[in-house]
Amino acid sequence: MSNFTIPVGPLHVALEEPMYFRIDVSGETVAHVDIHAGHVHRGIEYLATKRNIFQNIVLTERICSLCSNSHPQAYAMAIEQIAGLVVPPRAEYLRVIADEIKRVASNLFNVSVLAHLVGFESLFMHVMEVREMMQDVKETVFGNRMDIGANIVGGVRYDIDGEGAAYLRAQLDRLAPAVAEITALYRTNGSILGRTRGIGVLTRADAVDCSVVGPVARACGIDYDVRTKAPYAAYDRLEVPVHTLADGDVWSRAMIRLAEAATAIDLIRQCLDQLPDGPISCTSERPPIPPGEAIAKCEAPRGELIYYVRTIDSPRPERVKWRVPSFMNWDALRFMLKGAKIADIAIIVNSIDPCISCTER
Amino acid sequence: MIESLYTPLAMLIFPGGLFALALGLSLKGLDRRLAARLQGRVGPPLAQPFYDLVKLAKKRTMVPDTACQPVFLGAPLIGAVAMALAAALVPIAGFYTPDPLLGDLLVLLYLLTVPAVVLMIAGSASGSPFGAIGFSREMAMMLAYEGPLVLVVAAVAMRTGLGQGGLVSFSLPEIIAYQQTHGAFLFDPLLWPALAAFLAFYPANLGIIPFDIPEAETEVLEGPLLEYSGPALGLFKIMSALKAVVVLGLGVALFYPIAPDGIAGLAVHLVKLIALMLIGVSVVRVSCGRLRIDQAFRFFLKWPLALAVLSLACVALA
Repeated sequence: MSNFTIPVGPLHVALEEPMYFRIDVSGETVAHVDIHAGHVHRGIEYLATKRNIFQNIVLTERICSLCSNSHPQAYAMAIEQIAGLVVPPRAEYLRVIADEIKRVASNLFNVSVLAHLVGFESLFMHVMEVREMMQDVKETVFGNRMDIGANIVGGVRYDIDGEGAAYLRAQLDRLAPAVAEITALYRTNGSILGRTRGIGVLTRADAVDCSVVGPVARACGIDYDVRTKAPYAAYDRLEVPVHTLADGDVWSRAMIRLAEAATAIDLIRQCLDQLPDGPISCTSERPPIPPGEAIAKCEAPRGELIYYVRTIDSPRPERVKWRVPSFMNWDALRFMLKGAKIADIAIIVNSIDPCISCTER
Repeated sequence: MIESLYTPLAMLIFPGGLFALALGLSLKGLDRRLAARLQGRVGPPLAQPFYDLVKLAKKRTMVPDTACQPVFLGAPLIGAVAMALAAALVPIAGFYTPDPLLGDLLVLLYLLTVPAVVLMIAGSASGSPFGAIGFSREMAMMLAYEGPLVLVVAAVAMRTGLGQGGLVSFSLPEIIAYQQTHGAFLFDPLLWPALAAFLAFYPANLGIIPFDIPEAETEVLEGPLLEYSGPALGLFKIMSALKAVVVLGLGVALFYPIAPDGIAGLAVHLVKLIALMLIGVSVVRVSCGRLRIDQAFRFFLKWPLALAVLSLACVALA
């Protein structure tokens, strides 16, 4: 068998975003992987120090489309810590609702792309169609399909009235059986199982060494979820089951994402049931932000997202720094791709749900 | 005069050449539309494959610096011509019988391997690593499906030959004539395993999901076809359209050639091709995902090969 070096990326049909893998193959088997990043670096961290604290809510929302709610949420939480703001309970529940709506859409998106990479286009279309229900929800409730602009410093920007809640419930009632059906399909379909079981295995020990987070960690049996370990918003008042699987392969990661989509639907329902009355923001004006520093973290669809903010006596923050889940997860690709077949490269890369625009900002 | 014109006409106009090309492109259009509808999409216009071809014909062919130019440009031409010739070899029951001088079933079998060989050559001549991977995959696929195909054909040929009191008959007109009088092999239990093996063979030969491994878009970016553009790519499209007509036509001739005489025979043949394309290609390719090359190889050595051998044994012993 001859040896080749094949480029996967930065422009590749199987990758949604630019990332460059230099892969040495021996026949059909991967011998060595080099991961290169930096194709979509936009200097957002620098830009964040050039805008005022409140403008950065808008900016952080635009770091990434799929986690576009988690970034401003973690940022707002850090600012609220510095300013000592207490978010009213209703706003906390509304934050959870926005978070979980994005999670359903994001997880279904990743699972559908898995079907596309396996060549199962019908399933891809079907999952995308189901995801469309959540897109409709976003458009109806928030007025936008991707950047929903839910968070502000001190609360949320949107409210759900009786009519909105009824619509949301109706959509969830339609979505829940569809997600259950998709889960059953991924659990039993031969095409999916044949291409994902035992592929891209990350052992628990390697997972710990790489400090992977999110569904990638939970698929290796690591019971770590920010929503339960360090509850924020209203998660301490909700029942959040953490799903784990032991195998650590591509299929396990997809199943974790599907299970979390189902859980997210349940969490939104819990929030709607418990939703307290009251204001949606602790202040109607922009609160003064004193100098200080804070760290906040939340569970983005891809895993733990950490924000560090330092403010000085200026309307602009001195430093904003974030650590995204994909940064932790893509190192683990070296272990997953070791000895993989060429045919599985794209499937394995997709299984960590890499978010390049978050990571390179 | 008429006789000497007969063979070129069969290759260039009917049933090979232009007719087969138009038929093949229409079948592809139908396939794309039905697959789209099954996936909840609207789908392209039925004439989309024709539009694609016209567009490609107008474009420039780029040859990579690393490519071996004569081979790179010659490969698609050889493939298209071979398939045009093959299309002239497939009889249409009740309407068209190929000149025995042109060749029989064995020649057709040889011609059927040409597209795969041409793709392999094209892939390796293009100088692209993806083309090279496509080459090795195409070769593995060919090794996997050619064996069962030959055995399927042998089973049918032996059934006909034994039925006529001989041993084997590799003449398609004889196979058709035998079925016209004794009933189609589609209803012959001895040949059902062979039929099943054939049904697995032709998605592999036509390069559709689950067996589109050499050209898998999300894995090797169309593999051998990656570096092709313009008229050269158009020739590959022509080859693929003609191949669909040949392979489906061969299936009809081997297993269900029952048709009335005259123009009605042609109409019945077309209906059968369309049905086979829609049921055997469109529905198959939307209802499953792609296999990995090792899985596909094992599949062919396990099932179609075993079925074809079983059928051959049944025919020989019965």
